[in-house]
Amino acid sequence: MNDTYAGRTITRDGQLLLEKAEKDRVETVWDRFENQLPQCGYCEMGLSCRICVMGPCRIDPFGEGPQKGVCGADADIIVARNLCRMIAAGAASHSDHGRDLIEVLDEVAKGKAAGYRIRDAEKLKRVASEYGISSDGKDDLKIAEQLAYAMQEDFGTRKKALTLLRRAPAKRRQVWDKLGIAPRGIDRETAEMMHRTHMGVDNNWQSLLLQALRNALSDGWGGSMIATELSDILFGTPKPATTAVNVGVLKKDQVNIIVHGHNPVVSEMVLLACRSEDLLQLAASKGAAGINLAGVCCTGNELLMRSGVAMAGNHLTTELVLTTGAVDMMIVDYQCIMPSLGTVAACYHTRMVSTSDKARFPGMEHREFHPDNAAEEARALVKEAIENFTNRGEVYIPVEPVNAVGGFSVETILGALGGTPQPLIDALKSGTIRGAVGIVGCNNPRIRQDFGHVTLAKRLIENDILVVDTGCAAVATAKAGFKASDAAQMAGPGLRGICSALGIPPVLHMGSCVDNVRILVLASALANALGTDISDLPIAGAAPEWYSEKAVAIGAYFVASGVYTVLGPMPPVTGSMNVVKLLTEGLQDVVGATFSVEPDPEKAALAIRRHIEEKRRGLGLPAQKV
Amino acid sequence: MKKVIVHPERCVGCMQCMPACATAHSRSRNLFAAILESPVPKPRIHVGAGLYQEGFPNRCRHCDPAPCLLACLPGAIFRDEELDTVLIDPDKCINCASCAMACPFGVIRYHEDCHAPPGKVVAVKCDNCFERQEQGLIPACVEVCKVNALTFEEPGEALKRKTDEVARSVSLGVSQAELPAGFARFALLIGHKRKELHVGRP
Ligand code: SF4
Ligand code: SF4
Ligand code: SF4
Ligand code: SF4
Repeated sequence: MNDTYAGRTITRDGQLLLEKAEKDRVETVWDRFENQLPQCGYCEMGLSCRICVMGPCRIDPFGEGPQKGVCGADADIIVARNLCRMIAAGAASHSDHGRDLIEVLDEVAKGKAAGYRIRDAEKLKRVASEYGISSDGKDDLKIAEQLAYAMQEDFGTRKKALTLLRRAPAKRRQVWDKLGIAPRGIDRETAEMMHRTHMGVDNNWQSLLLQALRNALSDGWGGSMIATELSDILFGTPKPATTAVNVGVLKKDQVNIIVHGHNPVVSEMVLLACRSEDLLQLAASKGAAGINLAGVCCTGNELLMRSGVAMAGNHLTTELVLTTGAVDMMIVDYQCIMPSLGTVAACYHTRMVSTSDKARFPGMEHREFHPDNAAEEARALVKEAIENFTNRGEVYIPVEPVNAVGGFSVETILGALGGTPQPLIDALKSGTIRGAVGIVGCNNPRIRQDFGHVTLAKRLIENDILVVDTGCAAVATAKAGFKASDAAQMAGPGLRGICSALGIPPVLHMGSCVDNVRILVLASALANALGTDISDLPIAGAAPEWYSEKAVAIGAYFVASGVYTVLGPMPPVTGSMNVVKLLTEGLQDVVGATFSVEPDPEKAALAIRRHIEEKRRGLGLPAQKV
Repeated sequence: MKKVIVHPERCVGCMQCMPACATAHSRSRNLFAAILESPVPKPRIHVGAGLYQEGFPNRCRHCDPAPCLLACLPGAIFRDEELDTVLIDPDKCINCASCAMACPFGVIRYHEDCHAPPGKVVAVKCDNCFERQEQGLIPACVEVCKVNALTFEEPGEALKRKTDEVARSVSLGVSQAELPAGFARFALLIGHKRKELHVGRP
């Protein structure tokens, strides 16, 4: 096999499909990455500014050419402004996703969203009570209506603090209050971030970055948290389910439909349609043995978590999945959908359909889904996918799928532990489990696909550190077999014992990227049980292959919540040593946690282990020297 | 005589030199108008990616003796002694590509050009912006490069500066030698990219 394929991805299906893509003359994300080299150093260092039209400006990193933009902004200000805007964009994306779910809930409550219903009424009541809505004598729809209203208020400007901040440990909230970074309104913090980075507003790089933390918190404890909670209420709180991952989940003899993007509002309706009797019969009449729905990216994760729907791949695999020639239709919503997909699909018989009023792509048909027509639209699309089955050319599905278990919501994890975090705390205290790490984030062609995720997870579980993961990272470790039922064998003796006893893998799939908030909730539960702050826990976060603005927002809310977080790719900040120092050292004194940047997962694992042992020492628990 | 001197260790790979060069060799001399011209003007400097994906601005060295000049049978390539520049006469060029084969740096391209007869594909390369120099301007690529990866100066002076830098680093001991303020930031980035490239690659 060609070395370059193995250099691009560690996955066998990825390597074989890259070879196929080259034969079919399909250009992939890796080819385009190479065409972009060298990348612009100003932009990589965050030293280019396009905020106003006196510019664009750039600062000479060597200190001889221009040191100030036209407005007078120096490297610190420009780098900070750029980073702040990335966080604002990331927070806006997650929060807009959350808003869409509120709208569905509201329409369900008003009886206008046929097909959707409330699947977890108990959670509805629980979340409603957090919003001060009593359930007494009310039917579910009434509660839903009031909850939707109250959540919408979290987006606005009338509040002093977001409702769900109350989930954070008291000590953490004190930290935020002292710094004045407790987020007030979800949209408000993003709007204020954009305002402050406008030319001539906030030109103090420290206060800009503090607002960025507040903006990120408005995502983590606001937009994303609402998105997750409402998805659970509308589509069911995830429970462990067995599933399969990698391109091998496509089926030669079945109609294959792929859902891609982030929003379960569309994919859940597609899932319903795929399971309806008459459409299954139609498929049979076309000679297909069934309808096979599979996911990629986070829409896939949403379905995997709740219904055990199989997962064909993560971010960098999305183009390659199409090169199998086996996909009869790909239905996309929004976020992380490469605009190249339409071009790739054009080489095969695949039909590409976009569904969101806010996301269009070249070479795709647009069929808009709204809560009131989604069930119907989904049926129509599935029918068309079935009809497309007969247009298939040659099909190449090069690998067998890997088994995995997904669906570990906080509710499930605590359930498995007998309802309280105490058994986990006992294991942490005794040192059977040294700590826990959340591995999150995307793929990035800068890093060999999945290498960062898989190597890091491997090293951590070997050293008795429990791993929870989400998003593309979660798919990577699943492909590598870490989520199979017998994966406990790969863990160190302590973790292995506990996982075997509980019948869980050592790497727990906690969902899509918005579901990173489940990690916050779990960390808060641990900290509350111990009567301490999140920043005192032997836990860490890592994003070994991140690429998106959403990931910057996630990283920032992890750190602002007190979780030490290691990034693989370097964010565009090296143009300002002040900003670098603040993020990697200074934040320790501010929020009790820092970022660290380390592309080598072996070294990242060591740094994380050291951090965990240090936190153990701080809590007076038995600690090792790493 | 002043020359364009390349300092590849400072190139940040922004590629701004490329459109600047193309614009300087367009009919309109204006970036926004130039992209609408036919033929579309093309740069004579090309930024490549090094082992660590760092930028490298590659342009004609105006060698002496010049292998391209020696290889050109119709005599289209000649040296302008005054500017010490190897030039190509587009009227004489027969598009045989001998010069490109002879050039060790791969800096000669073939395409239509507004200075060549319409419709004729000719050999094109850096001309040291002699037209700009005649107007008292410095070469376009140098003007636009904000990190001084390209400078226009007396070679003697540039050499002296380099020599002094090295000399100072020796007297201090290399480890203590103070890098100019900005170098640390760039070194951090390049160091990181170098690591990324080595991570897990077979
Ligand atoms: S303008 Fe300067 S720094 Fe930018 S690519 Fe050209 S030579 Fe390199
Ligand atoms: S084209 Fe090549 S061989 Fe000719 S002078 Fe320039 S660098 Fe030398
Ligand atoms: S391509 Fe043109 S310039 Fe080059 S050797 Fe041939 S005739 Fe001479
Ligand atoms: S000196 Fe002029 S012609 Fe030569 S590379 Fe620079 S801009 Fe282009």
